[in-house]
Amino acid sequence: MIREHLSQAEDGEYELQRINRLEDLVLIDFEHSCHAILLDMRIETKQVLDTIQLIGEVNGAVALICLCRNHTQLREHKEIIHLVDDYLLAEHLVPGELPTRISHAIRRRHKEEQLLSEQNLLKQLLQNIPDAIYFKDQQSRFLKVSQAMNQIYGFDNPDEILGKTDFDLFTKEHAQPAYDDEQEIIRTGKPIIGKLEKETLPDGGINWVSTTKIPLRNTHGDVIGTMGMSRFVTELKEAQDQLSRESRLLKTVIDYALAGIFVKDTEGRYLIVNKRHVDYLGANSIDEVIGKTLCDFFDQAEATRISQNDAQIMETGQGIEYMIDHRIRSDKGDLWLLTSKVPFYDKDGTCIGLVGISQDISAQKEVEFKLKSAIETLKDTQLQLIEAEKMRTVGRLAAGVAHEVKNPLAVVTLGMDFLKQQLADSKDLVEVLDDMQTAANKANDVIFELLDYSSPHEVSMVPMDIGHLIKHVIKFLRHNFKEAHVDLKVELAPDLPSISIDTQKMEQVFINLFLNAISVMPDGGEMIVTSHLERMQSAGSNVSSQMTEQFCIGDRMVVIEVKDTGHGLTEVDKEKVFDPFYSSKSTGDGTGLGLSVTRSIVDMHRGLITLENRKSTTGACARIILPTHSEYEN
Amino acid sequence: MKTKITNEPVRVLLIDDEAAFTRMVKLNLEATGKYAVRTINESPQAQSVANEFNPDIILLDVVMPEADGGDVAIQLRQHAKTKDTPIIFVSAMVSRRESGSGFYESGGEHFLAKPVTTERLDDSIQQVLAKGVSA
Repeated sequence: MIREHLSQAEDGEYELQRINRLEDLVLIDFEHSCHAILLDMRIETKQVLDTIQLIGEVNGAVALICLCRNHTQLREHKEIIHLVDDYLLAEHLVPGELPTRISHAIRRRHKEEQLLSEQNLLKQLLQNIPDAIYFKDQQSRFLKVSQAMNQIYGFDNPDEILGKTDFDLFTKEHAQPAYDDEQEIIRTGKPIIGKLEKETLPDGGINWVSTTKIPLRNTHGDVIGTMGMSRFVTELKEAQDQLSRESRLLKTVIDYALAGIFVKDTEGRYLIVNKRHVDYLGANSIDEVIGKTLCDFFDQAEATRISQNDAQIMETGQGIEYMIDHRIRSDKGDLWLLTSKVPFYDKDGTCIGLVGISQDISAQKEVEFKLKSAIETLKDTQLQLIEAEKMRTVGRLAAGVAHEVKNPLAVVTLGMDFLKQQLADSKDLVEVLDDMQTAANKANDVIFELLDYSSPHEVSMVPMDIGHLIKHVIKFLRHNFKEAHVDLKVELAPDLPSISIDTQKMEQVFINLFLNAISVMPDGGEMIVTSHLERMQSAGSNVSSQMTEQFCIGDRMVVIEVKDTGHGLTEVDKEKVFDPFYSSKSTGDGTGLGLSVTRSIVDMHRGLITLENRKSTTGACARIILPTHSEYEN
Repeated sequence: MKTKITNEPVRVLLIDDEAAFTRMVKLNLEATGKYAVRTINESPQAQSVANEFNPDIILLDVVMPEADGGDVAIQLRQHAKTKDTPIIFVSAMVSRRESGSGFYESGGEHFLAKPVTTERLDDSIQQVLAKGVSA
């Protein structure tokens, strides 16, 4: 009968296989060739149930259809009916009904199997994923949650959470904004993706979650609630917070350090710089410095010097602990920086730049300079004191020596005069006496120089004509010139302005210069004395650094030159000629104090004395430059 | 002021505590034939010897152990017999600036620096006496 009904199928062919014993079910290929099973209900209910279970275990996708004789038999097996996909009443079958019913049962079975499979996927997801997944209704009540969520919030019974809201799980501090968000989603349909939320639990615990919430829609597309997933990121958040704290701490240290701090990359570009260092660079703001290099703040030479230094640090890995930079600033005082620099590396150990700290030590430097200057002044003062003490000692000594030595010398001198007169006939004896006289004269000269050198240093200035004074001195020494066979050529400019001088001391200057000229011309010669007025020029052959120190441009100066035709100065002479106790004369010919005294007197007059070789001829030229009266008064 | 118009030697009174010096001056000046020299080594005797010797010129040492040159000069100038007699101070305590070539004037006084040659001594005496003559 069944076979007959199946032959009436319009939608394809049906292959029918009949088995009489349950044991034979194993012989059937459920996977590929069996899509539906017709169960004859004449067998015992127990057997039917076993069969259904067996088939469900082997292949859930096979449709099960009960075949009953009539309604009476159907009622006998009513507990079975709801376990199968369909039932048929054999006595009421109409032609074509059987294949249609089988085909519908197979389709239903397939859909159900598909649904079950999808339900299983969702179940697997909710059971195993470690994130909190939840579905909520329009009042934000939980409809379904993942197992992880239950565990996290301490619900042992999976259904316990259902119907509850965030207000039951969290403090209002978190629950309220979450609720508001959900209501907003329901209202607008717009999802919230990856929002970082802080969940505060009633027990005081805190969870950080990254939450995504989307609208939950029914099959018609109407929003019926929300669903969401919260990933627990507390550890990540704590790590981020830690990093952020350290970053802020570092920034605070950098910003408020009492030093300039900078970080540069390997190309010398500033990556980080604090305000203080911006000041050191002479820039106005941090933004003005970031990304720039030394070339933007220094001249080429300075930038190159520092860059080379930086490159060396990064190349060798050797930092610099102590480096002093000096920068001249036009607007403020000089800047002195004490700088330390070290290379810095990435996690692979590659050098990616350097970090530096510069401290402003200008104030300390200033103190240092002042101290140095004070020490110099102290040294000078000490030297002056020693010099003054020396002078007093020499003075006392000289005065005593002068008296005690000159008296015997006077006797010797006159004694020799007498002997020469008495022995005039004996040439040899007279020569001996002359030599003795010369020796006595030298001894006398030494005494004079000592007396000159130690004479008091106070000056008493009066305005006077220097020409007059020179002429007076020349007259004074006329015997000396005559005896030494030195010719005089005197060319003094008329109408020179009067200058302030200490007459006695200035006389001594010229006596010394003239006697010096005589002494360098033992075989006679010519001494030329000239004077003229000059105005201080800004530059030129006659201008020396000494002059620019002593005089101002435009100053009127009286210049006196004393030239001789002697042997001139050696290089050593030039350097030392004004030093006390230096003498080019052989030992015994002089103390070497004459020119030293001369210069100190010229100094007292705020003048300048130089001694050079003459350019056109042999011999030396002493040049005395004195400020004119009016300048002195000023 | 006396004037010397004869060939009589000039009478020179020399007062100096250094006996060797006075002896030498006397020897040298008298050897020129132009001078008669009387010497004193103890300054306090100056006035009495001057009164007796009646010198044309007096050479007076400045630094002496008893009465020094200054004191002696004051005394001589207060005395009628010697008040107009020219005095040349002979001193070892002068610098070259002061003495120049050996003889110089300061404050109306005449000075000679020790040591001194006979020639300069002679010149100086003649200069001072010539001044006296012209005055």
